[in-house]
Amino acid sequence: MTVHFSYVRPASLQDAVSQLGSDNALIHAGGTDLLGCLRDEVFPAEKLVSISGLPELRGISKTTDNGLRIGALTTIAEVAAHPLIRESYAALAQGAAAVASPQLRNQGTLGGNLCQKPRCWYYRGEFHCLRKGGNYCYAVNGENQYHCILGGKNCFIVHPSDTAPALLAFGAVLRITGPRGSRSVTLADFHVLPERDVTRETVLEAGEIVTEILLPPASAAMRSSYRKVRARQAWDFALAGVALALELEGGRVRRSRVVLSGAAPIPWRAVEVEKIITGSALESEVIHEAAVAAMTKARPLGKNGYKIPLFQGMLAEELEKMRQVS
Amino acid sequence: MKDDEQDLYFVEGIAVPQTPLPGEEPANWGKTAVIGRRQTRVDAYERVSGTAVYPSDVVLPNMLYGALLRCPHAHARVKKVDASAAERMEGVQAVLTGASLGRQVKWPYNEEVATDLFDDRCRFEGEAVAAVAAATPYVARDALREIKVEYEVLPFVADERRSLATGAARIHGAGNRLKADSYKRGDVARGFAEADIVLEEQYRTACEIQAPMELHGCVANWEGDSLTVWESTQGVYAVQAKIADILGLPLSRVRVIGHYMGGGFGSKLQPGKYTVCAALLAKKTGRPVKIFLSREETLLAAGNRPPATMTIKAGVKKDGTLTALQFTGLASSGAYPAGGISLLDWLVRDLYLCANVQSELTDVAINAGPARPFRAPGHPQCAWALEQMMDALAEAAGLDPIDLRLKNIPLVSQGREGAPPYTTTGLAECIRQGAEAFGWREARRRTAAGRKEQGHLRRGVGMGSCLWVVGGGGPPSTVIVKLFADGSVNLNMGASDIGTGTKTVMAMVLAEELGVRPASIQIEHADTGSTQYATPSGGSKTVPTESPAVRSAAIAVKQQLLQMAAGELGSPVENLRYGGEYIEAVDSGKKVKVTGIAALKKQGVVVGIGYRGPNPEGKVVNPFAAQFCEVEVNTRTGEVRIMRFLGAHESGRVMDRLTFDNQVFGGITMGIGLAMTETRILDENRTGKMVNCNWHDYKLPTALDVPTDMVSLPVELRDSEANSTGAKGLGEPVTIPTAAAIANAIYDAVGVRVRQSPADPLTMKRLLAEEAPEVRS
Repeated sequence: MTVHFSYVRPASLQDAVSQLGSDNALIHAGGTDLLGCLRDEVFPAEKLVSISGLPELRGISKTTDNGLRIGALTTIAEVAAHPLIRESYAALAQGAAAVASPQLRNQGTLGGNLCQKPRCWYYRGEFHCLRKGGNYCYAVNGENQYHCILGGKNCFIVHPSDTAPALLAFGAVLRITGPRGSRSVTLADFHVLPERDVTRETVLEAGEIVTEILLPPASAAMRSSYRKVRARQAWDFALAGVALALELEGGRVRRSRVVLSGAAPIPWRAVEVEKIITGSALESEVIHEAAVAAMTKARPLGKNGYKIPLFQGMLAEELEKMRQVS
Repeated sequence: MKDDEQDLYFVEGIAVPQTPLPGEEPANWGKTAVIGRRQTRVDAYERVSGTAVYPSDVVLPNMLYGALLRCPHAHARVKKVDASAAERMEGVQAVLTGASLGRQVKWPYNEEVATDLFDDRCRFEGEAVAAVAAATPYVARDALREIKVEYEVLPFVADERRSLATGAARIHGAGNRLKADSYKRGDVARGFAEADIVLEEQYRTACEIQAPMELHGCVANWEGDSLTVWESTQGVYAVQAKIADILGLPLSRVRVIGHYMGGGFGSKLQPGKYTVCAALLAKKTGRPVKIFLSREETLLAAGNRPPATMTIKAGVKKDGTLTALQFTGLASSGAYPAGGISLLDWLVRDLYLCANVQSELTDVAINAGPARPFRAPGHPQCAWALEQMMDALAEAAGLDPIDLRLKNIPLVSQGREGAPPYTTTGLAECIRQGAEAFGWREARRRTAAGRKEQGHLRRGVGMGSCLWVVGGGGPPSTVIVKLFADGSVNLNMGASDIGTGTKTVMAMVLAEELGVRPASIQIEHADTGSTQYATPSGGSKTVPTESPAVRSAAIAVKQQLLQMAAGELGSPVENLRYGGEYIEAVDSGKKVKVTGIAALKKQGVVVGIGYRGPNPEGKVVNPFAAQFCEVEVNTRTGEVRIMRFLGAHESGRVMDRLTFDNQVFGGITMGIGLAMTETRILDENRTGKMVNCNWHDYKLPTALDVPTDMVSLPVELRDSEANSTGAKGLGEPVTIPTAAAIANAIYDAVGVRVRQSPADPLTMKRLLAEEAPEVRS
C-alpha cells in the first residue's frame, strides 16, 4: 500500500495557509489530539502543516483596550500558569489546569484545545458512525454514558474542551486567517451543532487557521470559576463541567454567563440559569431554582440520565461557592 | 549497612546465623542483620537508568517484526482470507493464515479445549486471524491492512447475565455454560432458622483488565532446531512447556529467557498466540522475529478479571455469631473456559467461622477475550460481596463492623477437607492492630456525628478483611549459589522477578547467611537454559517458595567452607563458626579468612545447591489482612475522594520493608482501580465490541486518584512452621479487601450501597438520586 504523506513546517502564516490548500491537509499544532486520531485512522491525512514555526502565534499579552490576546499556539500549561489570566480570568486558568495531564498540557495548545475532535468512543473507534460518513449514530442505542443530554440531534457527542466554556463565558473572539484573508468569529459562533452539520465541529473553512484568541477586558466586579467533574482525577474529560463568569454588585448578580461542558456537542450556554440568577442575590432558593432550570431541556439517552442530577448538584455547589466569595 | 560502601562484607555486630550440620534443619532466624530492613532494589539503577534489557528492548541482528491480524467482530466466522496483496508488499517476509498452517498448529485454551491457531470461528473481538513478519513494525502493520478477510458476522452475547437466557447467541456447540461448581458444609436452612437477622443482596464487579506497563510480546530466534524466546513473562518454565507442547519440540530445544519484565499481574503466566506466531514466522523466514502487541490488543486479548455477579444470603445472631452463608456466583471466562469462577467463593468458604455454608458457581461464555489469572483470582470479587454483606449484617445487628468480624475468627481452614489449622492466623491481629493504628473507633464516632449535619461533603470510614487461599509457597524449587575464590557470590535461580523485588529479597537472604552485601551479589535468573526449574511467579508464592531454597543453598556453601577450613584450623567442623569474612574455631580461637582457604583457592568456587523443603504436614499457610479507609463523598456530584488508607498485613516475616510497603501501596492502588474507575465496556446492543479499548477510556487510576496518606502496617506474627525463612505471600492479599473497604466507607458516608463496581460519579449519582433522595442537592 502506498500512502501519500508529507509534512511541512512553513515559516510564514501565508505559506501555512497556502500549504493547507491541498486535499486532506491538516494543521499540526501541539499534535496531542491529531496524532492520536491519525494513529487510530479516525480521518485521512495526506499532509500535515506544522505551525510550530510561527512564533507570532505564541504568547499572552494585554491588548490596547485592556483585554487579553492569547496566541493560538500558547500551550495549555502557559494559560493555566499565567498571572494575568489567573488574576482576571480565573475560570480560564482553572479550565486549562483541568485539561488532561501535565505532559499534555505542556504540549497541547489553546487553539488546538478549541478545535479538538470529539472523544465519542464510537467516533474514535472502529465504528463507521454518522460523523465519519456512516449511516447512524451508534450512541443512540449504545454505550452512551458519556454522551450529551443537551443539543444532540442525529449525533450525541459532547464537546471535550475545558477551556472553551470559560472563554465563551468571557465572550472571547477568535481571529482566523485563511485563503481569503482574516476574519473574527465569536466563540459563541465558532462551534457547530450536529443538527447544522454533523460532519464538522467548527466553522473553520478549508485552509483556515485560528491565530489568536481575544478576551474583552475583565470588569473588577467579575468573579469566575471552572468546575469539572470527572471519573478519574487526571487525563479525563468532563462528565459535567461549568464555567461561571458573574459580575456581582451589592450582593446581586449584575451580569452572568454560565457555560456547561460535558453537556452538549458544543460548549453550552445555560441561558436558563443566567436568566434566573441575573438581577438576583444568590440565595438558596434562587440557586435551587437555577440548578433545576439548567436541565429543563435535557433529554438523556439510555445511560446518561445521571448527568441531570449531576449538573444540578454541581451548579448548586458552584453557585453557592460564588455566593461565599461575593 | 550502607549501600554505597564497596566492601564485600558488612559488619553489623549481628552474627551470621549458625550453620547447621549436614542433615540438620536450619533454625529459625533470630535477630537479623539484613532481613527486614529497607533494602533498595539490587537492580534499581539498571531499571531506572534504562540499562536493564526488557524483552521489548531486545534487538537481534536481521530481526523481523511481526504483527497479528485480529478479528474486528465480537463473533464471526472467517469465510475467506486473501493474503496475496500483503505477501507481495516490499519488506514483507512471511504471512501465516489458517489456510497456510492447515490444522497442524493447535492453540490450547485450557486442558480440554483447543482450537486451530487461526481458527475459522472467532469467538471474541481480537481473536487472531493471521500473522505477518516484515522488515519494520510499520510495514508489518501496513501488511495487515492488505490482508482481505471475508467474515460472516454472527450474533453475540456481551453480558454474563444474559449468556444463559433463551435466545442468547450460542458461542459453543454444547451451549454457553462452561463450568459449574458447588460447595456445601452444614445446613444453611438450619443456619438461617437459627439466625436473628437474615439479609440477602446481589453484587457485581465489572470486568477489569491487568494492563501491565510492558506490553505482551516476545522475540523468537532459531539456531538450527533450537528455539530461543525472550518473553515478557512471569514464568520462563511455564512458557517453555507450553511452546514445546504446541510446536511438538522437546523441552531441551526451547529456551525461554525473561530477565526483566514490566508487570503481568497474572496475565503473563503463559505465552500467547503471538509467541507461537513469532516462532513459526522465525522458522519460516530463518530470521529472528519480534512481536509485541499494541495496547489495544492487550486490552482485548491478553486476559482480564472476569465480570462476576454474586448473591449472598447471610444469617447472623444478635450477638454477631454467623449462622449461615449462601453464595451464588455467575461469572464469565469470556469466550473460552479460563477460570471464570476460579476461587470466586473462597472467602465465603474460609474467611469467617460459619458452620453452614453453601455455594453454587456458574461460569458462562460471552463473546469477549478470555480471562487470565488476575492478582488474587476470585478474591477481590468475593470480598466486594462478602465484606459489604458483613458490613450490612453488623449494622443490622447493631455491632461495629470490626466486632462482628472479631466474633467470627476461624483458627482452622473450614473450606478445606478435614478443616486443617493455619500455621498462624493473623486475621484478628490485623483487624485489631489496623483499627488501632487507623483510629477506627474514633473515626466511626466522628463520621456518625457528621451524618447529622447537612453538608454535602460527607466523610465515611470503612474496612474489609481477607485471607489469600495460598501464599505459603512450596516445592519444587532448586537454587544454586556459587561462592568464588575472592569470596564474591553468584545466585542462580529460575524464578522471575516480576517487579516485586524477588531478586532483592533473595540477595538479602544470601547476605544474611553469608555476611556479604546484597548489592555485591550477582544474580542469574529466569532462563530455562541456564537456571534451575522454577514455577511461575504468581500466587504470592515466590518469596515463600524461593527464599527457603536460597537459604538452603547458602547453608550448603557454608557447610562446604567449614569442611574445608576444618583441616586448616585443626578443629572439627562442629567447633567452627562461619562469620562471613572469617571462619573461626571456637575452641582454639584460631581464624582463617574464607578467601584464604587453600581448598577454595584450588577449586576456584564452592557450589551450594538448595532445595525447597515440604510445607508443614496437615497445616495451611495463608496470609491475612485488614484494610481501612476514609472517603469523602460529594452528594451533589457523586464524586468520591479517598482520603486515606491503611493496610494491616500478616504475611509472615517482613523480608524487605521497602518491597513490603511497595506491595501494600501498589495493591491498594490496584484495588482503588477496581472500586473506582476500571470497567471494560462492551457495546452490548449493537456490535459487542469493546468501546473503551484504549489507554484513555479504560481508566486506570492515576496518582491523583490515590491518597497520599497511605500506611503500611506489617503485623509480623512469627511463623516457625511455614518454612525456613518464615515468609508468607503478600502480593495478592494487598488488593483483596481494598474495593470492599471503599464501598463500606461510602456506605458509612452516605448510606448508599454500591453493589456494582465501579463507584464512579456515574454510578454514585444514579444511586444517590435513587436511594438517598434526602441527600440530593
